[in-house]
Formats: sequence, structure tokens, C-alpha cells
Amino acid sequence: MNAKNYSNELAKEMNIAEYETEQWRAFEQVYIRKIMGISSIDVGYKLQLPIIGRVLRWNAEKMIHSESKNRNAVRADGHFGQVIPLEDAKIILGNLAAEPIIENYCMCRWMQRGVKEACCINFGVLSGVIEKLPRFIPKNNVYRLDRDEAIKRIEQHNRKGYVASVWFQPVPYINAICSCENPECGGLRLRQDFGLNSVYKAEYVAAIDPDKCQGCKSCVSMCQFSALRYIPSQERVMVDLRKCFGCGVCRHACKNDSIQMVPREQFPGLQY
Amino acid sequence: MMPKKSPKVIVDYSKCGDGGSKVDPRDCGKCLRACDPAILLMHETMDIRQDPYDPQIWRITAVWLNLCTRCMKCVQVCPVGAIAVT
Ligand code: SF4
Ligand code: SF4
Ligand code: SF4
Repeated sequence: MNAKNYSNELAKEMNIAEYETEQWRAFEQVYIRKIMGISSIDVGYKLQLPIIGRVLRWNAEKMIHSESKNRNAVRADGHFGQVIPLEDAKIILGNLAAEPIIENYCMCRWMQRGVKEACCINFGVLSGVIEKLPRFIPKNNVYRLDRDEAIKRIEQHNRKGYVASVWFQPVPYINAICSCENPECGGLRLRQDFGLNSVYKAEYVAAIDPDKCQGCKSCVSMCQFSALRYIPSQERVMVDLRKCFGCGVCRHACKNDSIQMVPREQFPGLQY
Repeated sequence: MMPKKSPKVIVDYSKCGDGGSKVDPRDCGKCLRACDPAILLMHETMDIRQDPYDPQIWRITAVWLNLCTRCMKCVQVCPVGAIAVT
């Protein structure tokens, strides 16, 4: 992992505080505002149109992956993420995350379900930005975490079934680990329902050992991506590798230790 | 083939939201939780009177329209009849 991505120096160099204040102040409006004259409202219909669809998709992808100097925070330029298993999240939180580390309310779940759940862990500069926005701050006002607390929290979220993801905001500065739900997470939504690379799959996929799997189906209910299926004729569960995001959350449900994470690159046909 | 037209989901802001209504969607949010595909979004308005750090005027907009199944759960659950789906 690239330690530079997490450092506060990089943040200063890239003038990230200003960018993030802009983006987070109006976080919930990202999907409402017009981008290139077109808002996200009914984007599914727009993307189906053959020519507009292609241009819109191309522009949206360019925007999500923009590394250019004049980013536009309100359009969410350069904001994308990648799913990571719990082990990687712990390494980031334990060693690489810039301090202060805070845990605030998840904005996606607030926008999409009207619930406030403290499960977004933010680092460094972004923490300072979010602390000024009362609607993100947990009611009990406890939000600063030390590294050990952060690791404990991410483990709790992960065991509950939430998918850990790391976010660049803007590229290449990494400053948050979220615990996502599908389709409530805006990033997962854009990828799953609209085919935009707003979030990459993990560097891993799940592999079930057919000799160990007892066919209890416990793992099936954990997968946010419907990648697991019980196969009656085989009396065991199989992974649909094309659907698997490599989050590793299914492992928490397996009493027989039959699920391992293996490198995605072992399967050249799979996307990231 | 022409793309399929999405359903229309209209929220009446005089009943819920920023149009002088009594319901603040932040206190209700029933439609957000009733919709299985989660196509509705609650957000602060772009009203210039808003405190940019602590906005207090909110509304609901149906955003992911092509995913609406017209199940009508949002219409049924809304206590003030603010939602129309066609
Ligand atoms: S099958 Fe893949 S996507 Fe589903 S829970 Fe397991 S690791 Fe995550
Ligand atoms: S009709 Fe059903 S799918 Fe459509 S917005 Fe209402 S609850 Fe959601
Ligand atoms: S259910 Fe009706 S009153 Fe409640 S938030 Fe939705 S639109 Fe507003």
C-alpha cells in the first residue's frame, strides 16, 4: 500500500481542505445538481439512450477519475472508492490513516433511508471538515477515535454485514473507510445500477472449499451482492465470481471456516 | 428499440418539505424506508437562506426513477398524501 496517499503533507500540497469543505457541505445535493447540464434524476433512462448514454458515461467516468488541478467539488470529481476486506481496513486504520480519525453518521444511509448510523470512519483533513457540519456528528458527541478504537469499530461493522470500502477524495488522497450497504451506498448504486466505475471491486474474490462447506447457507444471507447461491444437487454453496466484490463479509457467517479470499487476478476474466 | 419510459414519482412540497408545509421529511422519512429499491432521496434544498454548514430546509426527490416498480408503497405509507406515482 502506498503510504503517501494517507499523509497530511499530500493533503496540504493538493489543497484538499478547501475541496472537501465544498463537497461535504452540500453532500446530499450531489445527485440533484446538474452535471454537464444533466442531473442524476432519472439517470437510468438517460444512460439507455444510445448516443447521449455513451457521452454521458464517458464524461461521468472521466469526472470520477479526474486527477486534474481544477476539480469541481460539488460535482464529486475524483471521488471514488474500492471495496476492501477487513484485514486491509485494519492495516489502513492501524498504520496509514492520517489523524485525527473520526467516526460520523453515514450520509448515504441518511439520504436514502432517513436513518443516522455512526459508521463512516474519516481521516486527517476530512475529519476537520466534517467536524464543522452538525448533521454528521453523532448525538452522544463521541466521534474522535484512536487507532485501536477505529479497528474495533470497523470489525463490528464488518461482522454486522457492512462492506468495508476505502475512498479517494480527491484522487489520490485516501481519507475514509466506509461500511456500506447496497443499494443505499451512492457509490455502489452508480456501479451496480448504472455501470459507472465509481467503486472498484476488491483485489480478492471469495473461494469456498467444497470439502469443508456443509451447506448450512449461513453465508448466503450476508452477501450484499447476491453472489452466493445454495446448490441443492451439490448440497453446498457456490460463489458467482462475476458478482463477488471480494468484501469478505460472508466469512463471518461460516462456522466451518470454508471461505477463503483469493487474489482476483487469478481469474483473468473478472473485472475490478 | 426505444428505451422504456421511467415511472413518474412526484412529491408535493406544499404537503412535505420546503413549500410551507408542516412536515419536515427529516422527522418522517417513512417513504424512504418503504421503498425497497430506495429510489427516493432526502436532501437539503439550494435555498439561499440556508446556513451552508447547518441547513434546516429539506425535501424528498425521486432520483433513481428507472428502478421504481410502481409498487405504491411510498404512496400508501405517506401520512400526508404527498406522493403521487404514475
Ligand atoms: S461472496 Fe464475495 S461479495 Fe459476497 S459477501 Fe462473500 S466476498 Fe463479499
Ligand atoms: S412506487 Fe414503490 S418503487 Fe416506486 S418510489 Fe414508491 S415505493 Fe419506491
Ligand atoms: S412519507 Fe410523505 S410526509 Fe413522510 S417524508 Fe415521505 S413524502 Fe414526506
